[in-house]
Order: sequence, then C-alpha cells, then structure tokens
Amino acid sequence: MLGAGAGAGLFGSLLGLGGGTLIVPLLTLGFGLPLRDAVGVSLVAVIVTSSASASVFLQRHAANLRLGMTLELFTATGAIVGGIVAFALDVRLLAGLFAALLVYVGLSMVLRRGAPPAEAEGIAAAADDDPPAAGAVLDDTARAGPGQGVAARLSGPGYRVHRLGAGVAGSLFAGVVSALLGIGGGTVKVPLMHLAMGVPLRVATATSNLMMGVTASASAVIYLLRGGIDPYVAGPTAIGVFVGASIGSRVVHRIDLRVLRLLFTVVLLYTAFQMARKALG
Amino acid sequence: MSQAARTPLAGDALDAALARLLAIGTFAGVGLLAIGVGLMAVAGRSPLDPKAQFDLGRLPVDVMAGRPEGVLWLGLLVVIATPSARVAASLAGFARAGERAMVAVSAAILLVIAVGVIIGTALGESAA
Repeated sequence: MLGAGAGAGLFGSLLGLGGGTLIVPLLTLGFGLPLRDAVGVSLVAVIVTSSASASVFLQRHAANLRLGMTLELFTATGAIVGGIVAFALDVRLLAGLFAALLVYVGLSMVLRRGAPPAEAEGIAAAADDDPPAAGAVLDDTARAGPGQGVAARLSGPGYRVHRLGAGVAGSLFAGVVSALLGIGGGTVKVPLMHLAMGVPLRVATATSNLMMGVTASASAVIYLLRGGIDPYVAGPTAIGVFVGASIGSRVVHRIDLRVLRLLFTVVLLYTAFQMARKALG
Repeated sequence: MSQAARTPLAGDALDAALARLLAIGTFAGVGLLAIGVGLMAVAGRSPLDPKAQFDLGRLPVDVMAGRPEGVLWLGLLVVIATPSARVAASLAGFARAGERAMVAVSAAILLVIAVGVIIGTALGESAA
C-alpha cells in the first residue's frame, strides 16, 4: 500500500492530477476496499499533499491567501454537505460519479495542449509570473459595481478579481465534489479562478492547492467520526503519496510527459470502465 | 483595506509564518504516521486487517502503550487539524493587522469546521 500510494503520488505529481483521482480507484479496484473507505483515505492524502505544497506556495508568495480563504469558506461548507450526502448515497451511484470524473480527466489530458496541470502541481512546484486570463481587469480605474469593493480587496499585484458570485457558487460545488469523491477539487477551482475570475493561472493553481487542505479536512472530520477512515490503510497510503509526490515534483522537468500522458489516459479510461461496471453492479 | 495599507504582518510575514506552520504540521503528521506504520510492521499488522475504530478516550492510552492504531490515529488527527491550525493562525495575524473582514472570514471557516465536527459526532453516534 506504501508502493501504491507512492505510485499515485508520483504519477499524480507528474501528470498534474491530485492524488485522489488515482488513489480511490487503486484502493477500490486494486485492494478491494469499500469505495467510501477509499474516499476517506484519499481525503487524508489530499490534506497531506495540500499542506506540503501550500507551504511552498505561501513561502514564495505565489498563493492569494485572502482570495483562497474567502473561497474556502464556501468549499468547506460544500464539503460538509458532501460529507453528509456521501453516507446517504448508494455506493453504486458514487462509483458511477467517479467513473464520469475519470472519463472527464482522461479526455482533458488528451485535449490539453501543454497547459499546466489543473489539479495539483506537486509539492515543490515553482511559481512565476504569467498573464491573467483574457478579460481580467488590470487597472484600478475599472468601473465599480456590486461586490467590486470586496473583489478589489481580494485582488493581487497585476490582476483584479471579478465575478465573485461565480467563484462562490463554483466553490460550493467544488467542495461537494471533493467530499463525495475524495479529490482536491482543483479540476473545478483552477478553471473557475482563472477563466471566470481573472486570476493568473499560476496564482489560481497555488491558491487552489492552499484551499484543498481546509476543504478536505472539513469532510475528513465527518468521515473520521463516522468510521469512514481506516488508519491501517490511511497511514501507509498517505506516506506513500507524500514521498511519491515529492519525487515527482523533482523529476517532472526531466521527463517527456507526452507519451506518459497518453498511456495514462488509456489507464484512466480503462479504470473508468471498471468503475462503471461496479456502478452497474 | 487596500494592499498598500496592509501592515507587514498581514502580508509577506503572515505568508511566511503560515508556511512554517503548514510545514511543521505536515512533517509532524507524516512523521507520526511513519512511526505508526513501523509499529504496524513490528506488530505484524497488515493494512487489510479489520479496521480499527476511532476512540478519542482511548487515544492517550494507546499512544503511550505504543499501539500502532494509537500512533496512526494521532498522526491522522495532526494531519487533519493542520489546515484548521493555519486558519486559526491567519485569524490571529489578520486580527493583529486590523483586517476585520478577513478576521470574520477566518472565524466563519473555523465555525464551519466546528459544525462539521458536531454533525460528524452526531451522525457517528446515531450510526453506532
């Protein structure tokens, strides 16, 4: 299980996927763990990788702390709703949702053309300057409107946050999805912040990583208290993911990811097929 | 409050303090989990053994006795609590800097997590 966690952490880091996307099917299909227990373990792994990478991002002032904390109020709320709903839903429905997630991630990897990963960039990911998304307002003379005062306070150097309402709604959704499927939710939050809110991609990625810890811990508490976390599985898996992600972030620049990404897409789609079979009983 | 008006404590210094806190929490949690996994190996426990149930009352005894599940639970608690500790530290930093809006946001996040603990406890007891 240490090796499985390390593999998930390593490939997750190399391919820009959060550990959860890989850990849940690995534990469910590979080790026969009940899906809900796998989600609980995955949430622990998400917290470990988030805390480690957020530490680096904060040290480099790459994450927008104020924006992240404002949005994580809503991701945490969504996570608690998701944590409650997860125990009420039929496991086959959860498996079906996970299969859909895997298909989405797999197709995103095929369609992506050199774009930075959305879910998690690895523990030692570097932050640098990049342009804000198209439509971002850069000057302070922007027309004031409802919520502009708050948005201005949450903006960073060189970019101005907008469409805060969309950010709030999207964050609630990301929190629910995170708690249901045991993922960090970066696949929702990064495009949301970058494309809808005008946050530069690197800042959005760093801020999303920062938010994952609180989001996952809000639902992990519910899983823990409801007996949904197995310490004998969570311990080795979390250590493995931590070590694997650390190694991956150090070798990512030396590896040609195109072939790896293509191969992994095939694996993801096959895993989605297996999860769909589980969903159909 | 504009960016220029922020005090250093609520800017770069706060980022650095939070980064240190997260690093310490992560390494402490992962370190405890590593010790727990080592104790698992010594005790001949497999990850696929029947699940150990979380019992906060037994935790100190299990940890002091060096039982693998006790040390693993302690490590998991440290891991899960680290992001909340970051929020609490942010609250203190924003309070000292006089950023009332962010103090309110930080307090609200802690409140949401506390609600999660209460709901989790209630649901756990009803399921038991």
